[in-house]
Amino acid sequence: MSDNVRREKAVYDIVASDIVETVPSALIVLDRNLNITSANRAFYQTFRTSADETEGCHIYDLGNRQWDIPSLRTLLESVIPHRASVEGFEVEHDFPTIGRRTMLVNARKIFRPGDHDGFILLAIEDVSEERAARAESKRNLQVTQSIVDTIRDPLVVLEHDMTIVTASKAFLTIFGITEAETHGRRVFELGQHQWDVPALRHLMEKVLPENKPIEDFEIEDDFPGLGRRVFNLNARKISQPGNHTSRMLLVFEDITDRKQRERDALSLTNEISHRIKNNLQVIVGLIAYEARSTAQPFVQGYKAMQARIAAIAQLYDLISQSSHGRTIAVDAYLREIAKTMSASLLGNASDIEIKVKAESLDIDPDRAVPFGLLVNELATNAIKHAFPDGKGRVVLSVEQVGDQIELTVADDGVGMKDKDAAKTPEKRGSDYVAIFVRQLGGTILSPPSEGTGTIVRIRIPLLLVPSGTPSP
Amino acid sequence: MAVILIVEDDMFIRELTEMLIQDWGHLTFSAGDADEALSLLRSPQHIDLLFTDINLKGVVLGGCDLAHQSVKLRPQLRVLYTTGNFVTDGMKAEFVEGMHCLRKPYTPNQLQHSFEDLLAA
Repeated sequence: MSDNVRREKAVYDIVASDIVETVPSALIVLDRNLNITSANRAFYQTFRTSADETEGCHIYDLGNRQWDIPSLRTLLESVIPHRASVEGFEVEHDFPTIGRRTMLVNARKIFRPGDHDGFILLAIEDVSEERAARAESKRNLQVTQSIVDTIRDPLVVLEHDMTIVTASKAFLTIFGITEAETHGRRVFELGQHQWDVPALRHLMEKVLPENKPIEDFEIEDDFPGLGRRVFNLNARKISQPGNHTSRMLLVFEDITDRKQRERDALSLTNEISHRIKNNLQVIVGLIAYEARSTAQPFVQGYKAMQARIAAIAQLYDLISQSSHGRTIAVDAYLREIAKTMSASLLGNASDIEIKVKAESLDIDPDRAVPFGLLVNELATNAIKHAFPDGKGRVVLSVEQVGDQIELTVADDGVGMKDKDAAKTPEKRGSDYVAIFVRQLGGTILSPPSEGTGTIVRIRIPLLLVPSGTPSP
Repeated sequence: MAVILIVEDDMFIRELTEMLIQDWGHLTFSAGDADEALSLLRSPQHIDLLFTDINLKGVVLGGCDLAHQSVKLRPQLRVLYTTGNFVTDGMKAEFVEGMHCLRKPYTPNQLQHSFEDLLAA
């Protein structure tokens, strides 16, 4: 070996050993006889061995022959002699010291200047954890797929870009799509683009980034082979513990039959309501007819009767609009009463206004009608008598006071003189008020001594419960 | 005095209403269905206001269709709807813009106020 070659070899050795020590993969160098000439720190750490135990040792003899692995033998004895390099050769083995491991081996034949025999560099990467995670993920996917397939409602799992990861058997069967047709396709592109609805797209784009689920988004359309159907769509983010990726679960609930039942019920309710209201209209008309030939002092009574019939009919409409199922929202109910009274008694040009100040409270439907009639009676009295100059304000308010509810009907009008109460029509109105209050199990509080106008306060014992309280 | 066309399929309600409106000094015409109403609207007879039931002889929004056709024939015509059904948002969307609706049972006072509001507009 010339001096130049020797110097070059020395420099080469220093550089090579520096590189070898810095590389995170486990490296070993073998001579042509498969004896280990050197290994790096990563190798010793990974396989819990030392330089003394390793260097000079035959690869198969290392660590009580734990490296005498058939697949490694194949690599070293049959593959390497014929090729300059091998990459990604997978070796799975039970190592007595570190347990079962999957190793990815890259091998390369290297020739130093002047050395024709060369040596073999083996880079060994422990991919056991990655392989275990992949196997776990595959098992999870299989479990997920089995769950997905057992759910009767069609559903799909989507990636961030809305491409389909998996679709349930129910989805494929109901929408007549093959599994292959779903792969890599966005949900909006399926079928005749029935799901390509801008409002749905907008909501779906928020499910993953904002973790905002979609609840009951309704789509009605003609579906090939199914006819006209109504589907309820629900979507939410799903993520696996320990896994940073998340996906969207989109479930399609066929609500066509339920929707039809609701429509039938509504149509029947409308038909009944139409007939009842027409009959009430006939009664109001009959009273109007009688009033034509009645002496003027009694006409007021006929008019009041017509107004009360109209009020009862309107209260039933309001109750159906303010209903929470088994209870009526008093705040919404009062606002509707105010709106109806303004329209019927005041008109657009009036300078009298009806305001509502109400806490969020519920009342049971049985008491809603007398409650509404009570409010109607008090507010009608205020509108008729408090404002001789046609200008003022009536405030309807409801608040919870302890275990009672206080209804206040207050106006800023001229106030009520004792002698007014004795006049016939108002007296009758007061009688009605007293009956409604008794029906509601309440009491009329004495009016405040100061202030202008008329204030009527009524306490009703626990007929109302706060909104959101579950019904018994 | 205004000229009012009443369209109501219930004869009793139609005639009682007509009588009331006449008492207030207006001139009335009446029809039991949309076709009858449209032939009146196609005649030279002056009409200020159409007062129509929404559900006409089982046609759920028959009064709404009638109102649209009537306003097409006579753009100045005022329309007052009435119905015994719940007035839904879907129903309101079918109304001719700026027109009113009176829920049944309406009192003579309510009807009179509605006429005054519409005729003054």
